[in-house]
Amino acid sequence: MKNNPVILRTSSCEEIIPDKKMALRFMGCKELSDSLEEVYEKSLEEYKKAALFKAVYKKSSVTFFGEKGIRFDFGEIESSDLRKNLEGCSSAFIFAATSGSAVDRLILKHTRLSPACVMVTDCIASSGIEVFCDLINDEMKKGRKLKPRYSPGYGDVSLSCQNDILSFLDAYRKIGLTLTETYLMTPIKSVTAIVGIEEENQ
Amino acid sequence: MKIKDLLNKKRLYIDGGMGTLLQKRGLSAGELPELWNLTHADDITDIHLSYLKAGSNIITTNTFGANSIKFSNLKEIIPAAINNAKKAIELFDGNKEECFIAFDVGPLGRMLEPLGDMPFQKAVEIFSESIRMGAESGADLIIIETMTDSYETKAALLAAKESCDLPVFVTNAYDETGKLLTGASPKAMIALLEGLGADAIGINCSLGPHQMKGIAEEYLKYSSLPVIVSPNAGMPRTENGKTVFDVDAEDFSLVMREVAEMGAAVLGGCCGTTPDYIRATVDKTKKLPFSPAQNKNLTLVSSYTHAVEIGNDPILIGERINPTGKKRFKEALREGDINYIVNEGIAQQEKGVHILDVNVGLPEIDEDEMLVKSVKELQSVLDLPLQLDTAKKSSMEKAMRIYNGKPLVNSVNGKQEVMDEILPLVKKYGGVVIALTIDETGIPETAEGRKAIAEKILKECEKYGIDKNDIIVDPLAMAVSSDDNSAKITLDSVKLIKNELGLKTSLGVSNVSFGLPSRETLNAYFLSLAFMNGLDCAIMNPFSDAMMGSYHTYMALMGKDKSCAEYIDFFKDFAPVQAKSASTVKTEDTDENPLIRAIVKGLKEPSFTEAQKALQSAEPLEIINTQIVPALDKVGKLFEEKKMYLPQLLMSAEAASRAFDAVKSVMKDSGLKESKKIILATVKGDIHDIGKNIVKTLLENYGFTVIDLGKDVAPERVLEAAKKEKADIVGLSALMTTTTEAMAETVRLLNEELPQVKTVVGGAVLTKEFAEKIGATFYAKDAMETVRFAQQ
Repeated sequence: MKNNPVILRTSSCEEIIPDKKMALRFMGCKELSDSLEEVYEKSLEEYKKAALFKAVYKKSSVTFFGEKGIRFDFGEIESSDLRKNLEGCSSAFIFAATSGSAVDRLILKHTRLSPACVMVTDCIASSGIEVFCDLINDEMKKGRKLKPRYSPGYGDVSLSCQNDILSFLDAYRKIGLTLTETYLMTPIKSVTAIVGIEEENQ
Repeated sequence: MKIKDLLNKKRLYIDGGMGTLLQKRGLSAGELPELWNLTHADDITDIHLSYLKAGSNIITTNTFGANSIKFSNLKEIIPAAINNAKKAIELFDGNKEECFIAFDVGPLGRMLEPLGDMPFQKAVEIFSESIRMGAESGADLIIIETMTDSYETKAALLAAKESCDLPVFVTNAYDETGKLLTGASPKAMIALLEGLGADAIGINCSLGPHQMKGIAEEYLKYSSLPVIVSPNAGMPRTENGKTVFDVDAEDFSLVMREVAEMGAAVLGGCCGTTPDYIRATVDKTKKLPFSPAQNKNLTLVSSYTHAVEIGNDPILIGERINPTGKKRFKEALREGDINYIVNEGIAQQEKGVHILDVNVGLPEIDEDEMLVKSVKELQSVLDLPLQLDTAKKSSMEKAMRIYNGKPLVNSVNGKQEVMDEILPLVKKYGGVVIALTIDETGIPETAEGRKAIAEKILKECEKYGIDKNDIIVDPLAMAVSSDDNSAKITLDSVKLIKNELGLKTSLGVSNVSFGLPSRETLNAYFLSLAFMNGLDCAIMNPFSDAMMGSYHTYMALMGKDKSCAEYIDFFKDFAPVQAKSASTVKTEDTDENPLIRAIVKGLKEPSFTEAQKALQSAEPLEIINTQIVPALDKVGKLFEEKKMYLPQLLMSAEAASRAFDAVKSVMKDSGLKESKKIILATVKGDIHDIGKNIVKTLLENYGFTVIDLGKDVAPERVLEAAKKEKADIVGLSALMTTTTEAMAETVRLLNEELPQVKTVVGGAVLTKEFAEKIGATFYAKDAMETVRFAQQ
């Protein structure tokens, strides 16, 4: 097995601005009333102070076995959905990103104070981490053709592979990302994904 | 010579990286390095030996991840790891007397509560298990390293202290922002670790020597303990598809020489460093003069993010989390309404206090449980250091144990019995203790008498080895109405204790004005006088504009407020203001009642004021039935018709609850009461609770009694609560496909044991069909549907 390098990235919220349209979509709204607009602006300011984005990614080989088995450098996954996604790939980026624990605390705080605010903050935070992931995705894309990123927990990919992925990336030490007993991530606004590499011109 | 003595006599050297060297010897990416203690014992011994030859005095065992979460054969791994190190010392032909084996303890890789799911006490137990084995196998000291969370660091250090007598070194890994991943500053960690009795503290991993210099400087400035610095070999970078570190042994040792000159007592290396790095560092620093760590004479308390230094500028301690004389607060305590307490905390933080006093004692409640719960909940959302305020020893001990940081301890006094109870806790868990100048004979009537009690407490603290800087004397402010001289005696005591004993002081300021008119005026002037006499901390009500004004004025006048910025900011709202237009709702739409309109629009404060106005001409119940409930119904309908979205619905719910607040304040009982009791929970394994919280908000709004069990709740706990509370309905939420199994199990258990209880289920991945399949009574597609179901 090759020891591929781990790439580490850190950004503050000055570089990553949550996408308002996306946040609204998460809220299930088309537009905000005046009073909600105020809540949105205030939540966004607080979020910007709290968020500290970090990401790690590392290349892994990809081989297929059996009917729906996929073998990575970190272990094996049985999934026909992911296998379809990775068709034609012999390698993939394994990727993890988080916006940090201060965002979790901010959401916890609003849970105590205001249900409307917690919903708005939660949706802003979901949008923020997506925007950050897109940015890292663009970086990975340079000179390559990539498949859409695929996260454990979607389709028939069980969350139990999270442990192997985070160990593979040394994600705890690198970006402070951990799992609960039931394989959910803390900090909660975090993403792990597998991004198939279709072609590489390097 | 023992390592503790050596620490004060000469500079010591820890070893460097282990992982990089293991990889060179063939450790593959997925392999667990700790297993090599068994399978490649000679390799491990060889690496230890190479570090001893390079000049390391302290070799760390290959046990970074050796804990029971990752391994089931710790009993084999840990003794083997210690043996490998012992063998290296045997083979070493230098001065064996000054070689030590450090049992290495790394993080568990799991986040502690409240951010993660690992309970603090469980983390302590897991660390204890490994550390006990390390100590029994013959380690000379414990090194807790690469910790990125203050709470986990505390758990590990507490475990070490409780399970062995060995010296403990602790190093934390800071990121490029100069903070731990969960937010702690170096100063906060220094306060915490000194309090808990570490023997040497410092920094390792994450950064190279250049990036670490600034943090090392902070440690050396504030730490009274020897400081450890173990950087990586620079920052990792990719070269031809390989990870390389950008600082070589020579560059590394040049920076380490600077670090040694700055005063670091223990030097080492982390990721990417090899025996060459240590050898170069030893060569460049062994001849430098060494001076042992000095007591910095700081009084520090801390939260999980920052430390507050007492002794420079006056510190304000918010006193509002205290039931004394507060009917609503007592009610909240009896009902276990933690939200109320947390809100009191947040409001005081917004007013600008530096520390929060937490007193939740009430004869009829379990104070141990309440204090622990309050401290946990407050610390999950706000980052001020807390002053734990209880007269009950067991409550104090439990709260100090789980507190994330170094707390203020309120309080001890000159009574022997009280000192015997509280001072051992201060020594064990760390804290700054408030010492009241009262003893078996009462409160002395002279400043000299109060000083004498302070001295007595100081001597008793010395017996326990509690540092003088960790004592703050409260010479007690008494009502000036009952004794003309009492305020003056208190002020004189502050001065005397400060000048002659060199101790810091604190006062509960507002006591001075008992029994007199215009109390705020008296309090405010007394506060200024106390500050002028050298008072360090004031326990006070931050909602008193007069006292806050007095504080800001003092700061401005004493040159402690640059360009009077804080003063100006504080008083800007005191300019005559136009009546705020937002506080009333313009009634363009004359057909509509202004309260209904305010609720529908989701305007919180206007809903409150409109409800107050309505109370002038109508009975509370009438307002609820003809205005608030119709407003909620209107909102509910708009939502169901998709003319209003969920966040707006929530805004309206919040506005309605403000209107309820106004109405309830004049009612004897809470009026609107649905007779039904509803239990809510997010099922086991799931930590997404936003949806469940929305349902809770709406149900409460409609008058239902809701018992919220939280998230990640086991089926048995739901059943138990449903039985105990005699619930009518149980609402369950799950957001992940993987946790729907737990939902099915919970419903099955309820149906079996309590068939009369109705179940309503919801969550992103659920469907009506699934709900039917698992035997739930009702599937609610959104929060409003749950309300409608509950109303049936």
